[in-house]
Amino acid sequence: MTDDIAISIQGLNFYYNNFHALKNIGFDMPRHQVTAMIGPSGCGKSTLLRTINRMYDLYPEQKAEGEIWFDGKNILDKRIDLNILRSRIGMVFQKPTPFNMSIQDNIAFGIKLYERLSASEMKDRIEEALRQVALWDEVKGRLHISALSLSGGQQQRLCMARTLAIKPEVLLLDEPTSALDPISTARIEELLDALKTQYTIVIVTHNLQQAARCADQVAFFYMGELIEINDVETMFTKPDNIQTHDYITGRFG
Amino acid sequence: MTNVKKNIDINRKASSSSWFNGLVWISSFLILFIFIGLILKLLWGSQQAFATFGIEFLTRAIWNPVTQQYGAVSAVLGTLVTSLIGIVIAIPLAFGSAYALSEIIPIRISRIVTPIIQLLAAVPSIIFGMWGFFFIVPLMARYVQPFLKHNFGHIPILSALFSGPPFGVGLFTGGLILAVMITPFIAAVMQNAFQNTPVLLKESAYSLGATKWEIMRYVTLAWSKKAVLGGIILGWGRALGETMAITFVIGNANKIGWSLFAPSNTISSLIALEFPESATGSLKMSSLMGLGVILMVISFLALFCSRYLLRQSERKLRGN
Amino acid sequence: MDLSSASSQLNNSWVQKNNLVQRRKLKNQLFIIGALGITGLLLLVLFSILAILLINGLSGLSLFTLSHMTAPQGIKGGLLNPILGSLFQTGLAIFLAIPIGVLAGIFLAEYGNTRMVSLVRFISDMLMSAPSILVGLFIYTVIVIYLGYSAFAGICALAILAIPLIVRTTEDTLRLIPTTISEAGFALGAPKWKVIIFVCLPIAKGGIMTGILLAISRIAGEAAPLLFTSLGNSDWSWNIFAPMTSLPLIIYQYADSADDQWVQLAWTAALLITMAVLCLNIVAKSYLEKGLKNKRK
Repeated sequence: MTDDIAISIQGLNFYYNNFHALKNIGFDMPRHQVTAMIGPSGCGKSTLLRTINRMYDLYPEQKAEGEIWFDGKNILDKRIDLNILRSRIGMVFQKPTPFNMSIQDNIAFGIKLYERLSASEMKDRIEEALRQVALWDEVKGRLHISALSLSGGQQQRLCMARTLAIKPEVLLLDEPTSALDPISTARIEELLDALKTQYTIVIVTHNLQQAARCADQVAFFYMGELIEINDVETMFTKPDNIQTHDYITGRFG
Repeated sequence: MTNVKKNIDINRKASSSSWFNGLVWISSFLILFIFIGLILKLLWGSQQAFATFGIEFLTRAIWNPVTQQYGAVSAVLGTLVTSLIGIVIAIPLAFGSAYALSEIIPIRISRIVTPIIQLLAAVPSIIFGMWGFFFIVPLMARYVQPFLKHNFGHIPILSALFSGPPFGVGLFTGGLILAVMITPFIAAVMQNAFQNTPVLLKESAYSLGATKWEIMRYVTLAWSKKAVLGGIILGWGRALGETMAITFVIGNANKIGWSLFAPSNTISSLIALEFPESATGSLKMSSLMGLGVILMVISFLALFCSRYLLRQSERKLRGN
Repeated sequence: MDLSSASSQLNNSWVQKNNLVQRRKLKNQLFIIGALGITGLLLLVLFSILAILLINGLSGLSLFTLSHMTAPQGIKGGLLNPILGSLFQTGLAIFLAIPIGVLAGIFLAEYGNTRMVSLVRFISDMLMSAPSILVGLFIYTVIVIYLGYSAFAGICALAILAIPLIVRTTEDTLRLIPTTISEAGFALGAPKWKVIIFVCLPIAKGGIMTGILLAISRIAGEAAPLLFTSLGNSDWSWNIFAPMTSLPLIIYQYADSADDQWVQLAWTAALLITMAVLCLNIVAKSYLEKGLKNKRK
């Protein structure tokens, strides 16, 4: 595995009880690039995302087999420290999930899980995280108010800031704009462009335009199989596979 | 011809529905009347006591049938102290089991264990009284109280709390049994609230690398705090009015002291023990009714608070 | 913005610089063990209660006990009159409570959201959790004072305790029925009472039945409201206006007496009433579960 590859998936199979949800998946995610995963609902793209930070571990009926290599280790290995894994691979969900605390406490919550900081260091880290998601100017001076009083788009950026504050290397985004209005969506997409200079980003989206706008490489899934993976240009102009072609031109979905 | 027939039909329907409406309204009014009657009758019955002792009935610390002197303080204190001991012990018990059954134990097992623990709520209160009388009281007298006295008997405040001969009865034993009785009620409310916390919220804390406990402490509890508080107050309300479980183990003595192990009394146990022995229309009966009024006021206040909190959290759930 | 400096501080190691994560995990494990321990403790308490009842109660359970009346101290007695008394009073109380509770439940579910409806719901909720001994006091002042201690007074007290439970379950199950079903009935021109009785109640009968069984299991174990209403009776009489005993009352009278035979009878009575109440409870809950499963289908 070269230094340019952040995550390498090899021979991955996933099961919900007896349902075979991912079938022999294998591909690489280049460092500091945006990989978009597209496909009709139920195709396994979200499942794959939740495998990368071992979220499925919460549910005893779900199990994964195969290999996902990240920084020299197979993260499906039972001996992996899940807390540290999740501090290195962050995730943002399809709906904003601010905790029932103030704006600053939402961000401090994650940081305090891994670091002991003085009050002034913590203040700097909170500011840094809020600046990264371009939320600082909107909320500075009222960091102590409840995070639930922010608008939906602001809440989602706060959740991104909360994840970024831990300083992960990989950012997993599970349809992060599906609950947002077009303007908030555009702001998040702009952010992704700025963030990929530091982070490896994996985004699941049902919105093909979004994939075309943000991604460097695109993976198309159908019925638990990886049908095609290509750079964004090729994928949307002359895909190799006829199924991909049918999907991106709207023949089925 | 058909028009006439239809008219008759409509009239018949209207009148035939009205007997049913009448019954429905009567039943509903009956519930109101029972409630209002309960309040008025108790107030009426306590008139003599309040007329004799004035408002001081609430602050007098005496209960002496021989000299006909009655005051509410010792029984009210007994009720408050036992129910508070009960709630203090019940909160960790209820929280622990609700936490385990909603977040730790796999669903397949918790689906079996939850109803078993809820059976505790169905055991009649007099059975808890018997269990307390034959099992907990000797345990207290032989082991717990001597142990506490021996180890904490020299510390100023604690020595007062643990003083007195080891009878095994008293406020602490009463509180302990109340705790066991109300735990399943509080646990049921808590478990329900924990399970209703949005999965995505918990998952997003997991995705930051938080542990199960941290999620409970900072996410789930914060989300469900109103329901949790409502459940606790509901349990407290039950503890306040509990009679049979307490009467066996309280010791039945109308005095006020610091000791948690001295025989004491609560409002409901005093009523249970002395009401059958008091003559209709006597000052004693009226004083017992006065105690009933106090119990009614405290427990309805508690119920009102818990209902308010639980309704609010229900609304929050529907909003999500 | 200091993006470049931020990137140099990324969390890029499998080894944590401090022991924070280890300590958090330890704390987590302690709380999990504590919670599991508490759950075990509660199960232990339940089983200790059941075990004590079985050990002490079973030895007194015989055909003689079930077929003989209570007797004065020194003479061997049984539990026939308290058993009959419990069945009689609980049965009549529930008979009294069912129509009132179901009708008031219908009022709460089907008569809109007026102030009167909220008021009745609120009052019924308060009554549901009212201390049962206060209900005893109330019945004393409205019935016993005029008619004397009697089974009738006890039945009224128990009915008051049962009504709010039935109201609640009736309302809850009726509310689960989709409005389209009752609207379909109205669309045919059926009057309200016909729709409710012939359309809604049959669908809701499982839930209402559960509520009734739970109400029985609650009032069957009550002693406090009977203390100064039905009072207790060492003999048996079918007269509803005479005092009557019941299993909880006998436990209250016998448990702390000095007579070993009486204490034994108290244990046996405790075993009988607890088993009856718990069985009713289990039946009621499984009934409810079955009903829910059918609805999901």
